[in-house]
Amino acid sequence: MSAVRPDYLKGRVAVVTGGCGGIGRAICQRFHAEGATVYATDIAKPDFGDTPIHFVHHDVSQEDGARNVMNQVRDDQGKLDILVNAAGIEAEKTIEDTSLDEWNHSFAINVNGTFLTSKHALPLMRAAGGGSIINFGSYDGFIADPSLAVYCATKGAVHALTKAMACDHGPEGIRVNAVCPGYVDTPMLRSFFGDSGDIESLQQAVRDVHPLRTYGQPQDIANLVNWLAGDEARYASGQLWVIDGGLSAQAQQMRL
Amino acid sequence: MNRLDGRTALVTGGRQGIGRAIVDAFIHEGADVATCGRAGRPGDLPPTIGWHKTDMASADNIEDLRLEMLDRFGGLDILVNNAGIQIEKTILDTSDEDWDQLMGVNAKGVFMACRAMIPIMKRGGVIINIGSISGNVADPGLALYNASKAFVHGLTRSIAVDHGPKIRCNAICPGWIMTDMADAAFAVADHPATAKTDTLARHPVGRFGQPEDIAAMAVWLASDDAAFATGQCYTVDGGVTAASPLNPGLF
Repeated sequence: MSAVRPDYLKGRVAVVTGGCGGIGRAICQRFHAEGATVYATDIAKPDFGDTPIHFVHHDVSQEDGARNVMNQVRDDQGKLDILVNAAGIEAEKTIEDTSLDEWNHSFAINVNGTFLTSKHALPLMRAAGGGSIINFGSYDGFIADPSLAVYCATKGAVHALTKAMACDHGPEGIRVNAVCPGYVDTPMLRSFFGDSGDIESLQQAVRDVHPLRTYGQPQDIANLVNWLAGDEARYASGQLWVIDGGLSAQAQQMRL
Repeated sequence: MNRLDGRTALVTGGRQGIGRAIVDAFIHEGADVATCGRAGRPGDLPPTIGWHKTDMASADNIEDLRLEMLDRFGGLDILVNNAGIQIEKTILDTSDEDWDQLMGVNAKGVFMACRAMIPIMKRGGVIINIGSISGNVADPGLALYNASKAFVHGLTRSIAVDHGPKIRCNAICPGWIMTDMADAAFAVADHPATAKTDTLARHPVGRFGQPEDIAAMAVWLASDDAAFATGQCYTVDGGVTAASPLNPGLF
């Protein structure tokens, strides 16, 4: 299902925030398989078994956390080639039900986290002579799912930030892109489906709405992130890469 | 003071639906209006409104229309390319004749009308093309229609770029507007009534569009209030394309 090339990212140093999450974890494993030295950061330590993936405790909403991660990478490796800002949360509420604290918490992780981690990664990317930053947008940054208001807003902010960073740091050889997943089978998605009782029929209904008749696996997103991280994507920057099984290519799917 | 006092306007496809609503709204705002369609003059069209029997796919018919605008108005201020047809087929079922018929009106007709009318917009002018949300996202089983509307969106930007500042050109992208064309789309559903109910639930405004909703946007775009608006495709769809196609609340 994916063609791993053990040399595609050979010699590269990568940091993946949210490395414990469904998609972040798949990215860490893929980067390792492609030859990169990988640092997974998160608030809880992931279980990578025997795979030699470094772990750094990291609350992305805290600037000290970003400094700490980059200090360790600098001390160990002296440079950074790839940063994936995969840490993110969602709050399933309309704005009316969202408190200011909840709003700020979502922005602190999804937007501030992307900002702070990228900011402190830049000196190490310059040391590498360039690099690739991959942010996590969402198709929800383009069109809305109901009762995900602050999540949609944070992803729209990440999309704009991605373009701004690409403009500012492109001249230094630093490419910045965002991947914008649709529905991917992760703990976050299962939480969104919630306790709706018959989750099997709900999942089938969701699959049926997709032109490809399935929703994504974390590996599907890792495939794209892996491509963007390496030299095959050397001309790709400033773009928002929607990957959603065709979901957002279609008009509203009425039952006709 | 009406917003279109002293303006002359041609609205293609003005027999019914969105086109007719634009004709009526333009008259209400003080414009001098002509319209056209493939058949004879509609019985309920006010006598002051010009009617021209026109096949938008015919170059000869469009040239006749141009001469009639010169004869009737001495030029033209506003062109609304509303005439359009839809064919409910995937490309595998679509014949060359279907292509010629649909693209002849929806694409070539818009091109020919713009090419003919821009030179007679002597005081400068406004072109409003009717695109569709289907030109941005695909409605199933409407392949050529979807593609023809994407053409309209692209042509809209080109005309704005090539012929500004003399001409302002924008498109309106309607969503589900309750017209005979929408009813034809529902008619092919297994359960048309259920389909309508389901569709309605996906509209944040809680209703389908009316032709008057699109006419209101056309009036604004035609007026001087829109003096800085050009080259854009404005969606008026009750919010349906702002929402994800996947609405868990409906499952």
